[in-house]
Amino acid sequence: MTTVDDGQQPQPTGPLLPDAPASDGAGRRASLTAPLVTGGVVVLATVLLAVRDPHVPHSYGGCPLYVLTGLWCPACGGLRATHDLAQGDLAGAWSMNPLWVLAVPVVLVLWGRWVSRAARGRRAGPAPVWGAWVLLVAVVGFGVLRNVPAFAPWLAP
Amino acid sequence: MSTPNEPQNPYGSGDPQQPQDPSGAPQYPAAPPPYSQGPAEPPAYPGAGAPQYPGAASPQYPSATPYGSAPGGYAQPGPGYGAAYPKNSLAIWSLVLGIVSFVLGCGLFTGIPAIIVGNNAKKAVARGEANNGGMATAGVILGWIAIVLSVLTIILFAILFANADFRDAFNEGYNTNY
Repeated sequence: MTTVDDGQQPQPTGPLLPDAPASDGAGRRASLTAPLVTGGVVVLATVLLAVRDPHVPHSYGGCPLYVLTGLWCPACGGLRATHDLAQGDLAGAWSMNPLWVLAVPVVLVLWGRWVSRAARGRRAGPAPVWGAWVLLVAVVGFGVLRNVPAFAPWLAP
Repeated sequence: MSTPNEPQNPYGSGDPQQPQDPSGAPQYPAAPPPYSQGPAEPPAYPGAGAPQYPGAASPQYPSATPYGSAPGGYAQPGPGYGAAYPKNSLAIWSLVLGIVSFVLGCGLFTGIPAIIVGNNAKKAVARGEANNGGMATAGVILGWIAIVLSVLTIILFAILFANADFRDAFNEGYNTNY
């Protein structure tokens, strides 16, 4: 459909959620619009992924990094993992992208906190710095390790 | 340390500050004005003013007591007492998102947040709530580069896939219906 890279779609919600409310420095009252629209878009994307199987090669384009270099990027397999999760196939999702499977519950909790805070008119404070470092180490480390032949059977899609 | 002295403080009757402490303390954490006054008062005060007060005030109220007992001029650096730059995390997030967008195959999805967060970090620097504007600039630039690269890649893919020969070569070995 689009040339969107295989596995990119789920990734943005992770970093987006803690940042979006924190990035507003003004004292405006938070509204429920942003978290609910975000949730709706994610649900629609998940339904699309559940219906239209990303396991079919190039059904959603391809990963530029993989096409150009043959390396798996940290998000490769993310769309397939989302499809498997939506179908209830946890093992299949884990074999596609374990990092994304681990990140989904975190994303859901952060989104829930965003909604509950917005419902009370509160804005989240700045996202903690350690969260940024965890994200960096997890993404970069996972991207490196899944391309090491010794770990590829467990981490590569 | 001085807490047990407070109830029996012989100077308490003559000291007008003590009754103000309990009432004055809750006002400051909730009051936004100190943040807006931040730029007016240079951040040199937190470091210089902090060590002076504990001797004169009860250590039980490290942040509240100084305001009650201090002259008006010293009350303003208050927000800097606990964390000098409470919004410094924004620029770090921006830089991390910018770096991550280069690790990912398609950096659009972290490059855009990197620019948004980085611009907010720059606003925080302008308000005096952060001092790492260089890091924010790096995050914004990385985000823009990632977006440009992603868009170029998408265009390149679209052009290449319009070519039947390339598509066949690319799909070689695959059985695809798309």
